[in-house]
Amino acid sequence: MTNKTRKVAVTVSALGTLWAANPGLAQESETIRELKSQVQELDQKLRIVERRLELEREAATEKSKSATSISAGAGGFGLRSADTNFVLKLRGYVQADSRWFLNDKIDANDTFLLRRVRPIFEGTVFDKYDFRVMLEFGSGASSSAANNGFVQDAYLNARFLPEFQVQFGKFKEPVGLERLQSGANLLFLERAYPTQLVPNRDVGVQLQGELFRGTLNYAVGIFNGVADGGSGDFETADDEKDGAARLFAQPFRNTSIDALKGLGIGLAGTLGNQEGPLRSFVSPGQQRIFAYRTSTSTNAPNVEADGDHWRLVPQGYYYWGPFGLFGEYAVSGQDVRQVSGGAGAGATAELRHTAWQVAASYVLTGEENSWRGITPTRPFNLSSGGWGAWEIAARYSELDLDDDTFPIFSNPNTSVTGAKSWAIGVNWHLNRNVKFNLNYEETDFEGGIQNPVAAQGKEQAILTRAQVSF
Amino acid sequence: MKIPTPIKAVLSYGALFGIVAVTFAAALKPVTLLNVSYDPTRELYEQINPAFARHWKEKTGQVVTIKQSHGGSGKQARSVIDGLQADVVTLALAYDVDALHEKGKLIPKDWQKRLPNNSAPYTSTLIFLVRKGNPKGIKDWDDLIKPGVAVITPNPKTSGAARWNYLAAWGYALRKNNNDEKKAQQFLARLFKNVPVLDSGARGSTITFVERGIGDVLINWENDVLLIAKKEHVGKYDVIYPSVSILAEPPVSIVDKTVDKRGTRAVAEAYLQFLYSDEGQEIAAKNFYRAQSPKVLEKYAAQFPKVELFTIDEVFGGWQKAQKTHFNDGGTFDAIYQGAK
Repeated sequence: MTNKTRKVAVTVSALGTLWAANPGLAQESETIRELKSQVQELDQKLRIVERRLELEREAATEKSKSATSISAGAGGFGLRSADTNFVLKLRGYVQADSRWFLNDKIDANDTFLLRRVRPIFEGTVFDKYDFRVMLEFGSGASSSAANNGFVQDAYLNARFLPEFQVQFGKFKEPVGLERLQSGANLLFLERAYPTQLVPNRDVGVQLQGELFRGTLNYAVGIFNGVADGGSGDFETADDEKDGAARLFAQPFRNTSIDALKGLGIGLAGTLGNQEGPLRSFVSPGQQRIFAYRTSTSTNAPNVEADGDHWRLVPQGYYYWGPFGLFGEYAVSGQDVRQVSGGAGAGATAELRHTAWQVAASYVLTGEENSWRGITPTRPFNLSSGGWGAWEIAARYSELDLDDDTFPIFSNPNTSVTGAKSWAIGVNWHLNRNVKFNLNYEETDFEGGIQNPVAAQGKEQAILTRAQVSF
Repeated sequence: MKIPTPIKAVLSYGALFGIVAVTFAAALKPVTLLNVSYDPTRELYEQINPAFARHWKEKTGQVVTIKQSHGGSGKQARSVIDGLQADVVTLALAYDVDALHEKGKLIPKDWQKRLPNNSAPYTSTLIFLVRKGNPKGIKDWDDLIKPGVAVITPNPKTSGAARWNYLAAWGYALRKNNNDEKKAQQFLARLFKNVPVLDSGARGSTITFVERGIGDVLINWENDVLLIAKKEHVGKYDVIYPSVSILAEPPVSIVDKTVDKRGTRAVAEAYLQFLYSDEGQEIAAKNFYRAQSPKVLEKYAAQFPKVELFTIDEVFGGWQKAQKTHFNDGGTFDAIYQGAK
């Protein structure tokens, strides 16, 4: 009996007793009995309703335990089995960019473009087997015999233990720090020069894991091998394979020293043998500034990779509160050969190109800065007064091409021998999913007096991006 | 290559010794069993389990821990079919155990022949629990269909006890109406019209009646009714035995697929055989189950008043037939309950 009905019953009962003892009120005892009966009946009805609600809640709870859950949120859309052993997530991001070049005389390089359009399907089967397929439909995405650019990632990662995981398929080789950062979390619109000297995505097998409670990450793998900055998913040039390895330590991650928790340093490298075509390098505005000599004629020079290829990439970052600092250095040594006729026919050399960058950022609105992106504490909303997160950034980066490259392997008139770039940027993170970037980057070139970009002395690029990611 | 005889002997004895050692070591390794049971057996198996663990330790030296899982019998069977790794099931009715063979091929078809008494180590029946003084004057099944009497019984779709309740009432109505099925169905329809809350299991119904104070009469397992009236809530309720009820034979079985996978067959079989031992029968009787052992049954005769009991085979032609006619989708229960709502 509920408290309220109990009180009513007691009152009615007391009144009944009082009235029954009084002959003057005896005739009303029948009414009292009826009232008591009605109270009891109502009490039963109320209990029944309460119990039914209780059972409905229990049934709903039970159902939710065995039901597949569907989620939609800032982290994407997903399905998850009741035991969490099977997960499917639909994620992705779209980057709508524009590029504007100041004081240039090149036609048709100011443009709007879709820099990246990437649907991502990822998930888990049988608890420990993760998969990810990321496709690319951005402007200029293409496919060739050596690389299907429409398939960026396609891999299986077997998480036997946190310390022991094996990944198979096509994914980023574990080398460049900025390359390993998601394209959706970049500080600047375009990655700096060191990324052009490290491999992008390749097909292979990788052993990886976290040791010492996540303070040391390791990855070691064997891949087909790609040219600097290149991707591949099919070996067309040689039988040789590249080994790649990376160690990255965050020694203070689990300590109470807040100022050092966000410090990470690492060393990565590759070793292998590469043959076949080589890639050109581009400016921050993505305009070609360097190319090896190529020709389909047997009488003109054609340069290809032809022998040992190694890279070494020390790297690190430091994040503390809203402040972030990021840097890496890359050196790539590649044996090359002029494989065709013309000048320097048959010449070989080991070319060592180097690049480095340092970038700093500060979140004006106070959010935690991170290599994995920024989550605004107050998402942009005009009615509630939130302004999202505002971040400012600056970067300096250099590319230095081996002097021995010129003139046999590359034309010093049409290719630069080096480039120095500085950039500033403002990033507005409206919320976890929407971001606007504005960059200004200025580049001074060495050499390449007939290169359309370098001939102007410098490149002054304004780059913008509107990004949605989920 | 020809191996010299002495080396053969050493290898043979070595291999034999190795097998024995490994077997011995495996036998001594602590083992865990999962007993998936129906709602009201919690208290029974809370006493059976430590008793068996002692017995097994004395017999083999191995430490065994038995985990229990309880719920509506039908629901529990479905969980095992869906992958719950039960070593043994101790359910409310044979139909639910049959389902482990028919829907999951987890046990052989003739599972019921593996243990005495059709694999039912104890029996029970279904009786009434009313509030102290029996304010509604409930004496037999007829009283449950009177207007204004609130009857608490769980959902036959999910609860074994509910199916027993239903069949007991149906059997009574048939007897009273010269086996007229139509009249029996009308009887049940009137009875379910008096059911205000349909819980998914017997334990839920007990909560509805005892803890939530709903209803005038609870139809439930004899062991549960006696436990409430004689141990848990002494003096608050009266126990009513109807003129006739049904003989309930809750069966037990090992789950072959699980025990073979986990290597627990020997201990699981011993666990179920223990239920038939004097000690197991005594514990069952103390928990108000009717023991199969005549000796123990006689010892506890005083706590089980004589009541006329019919079997499911006699009245319904067995569980498979009863299930199909009454409880499958589109059966008589669906017709009755839709009408009663």
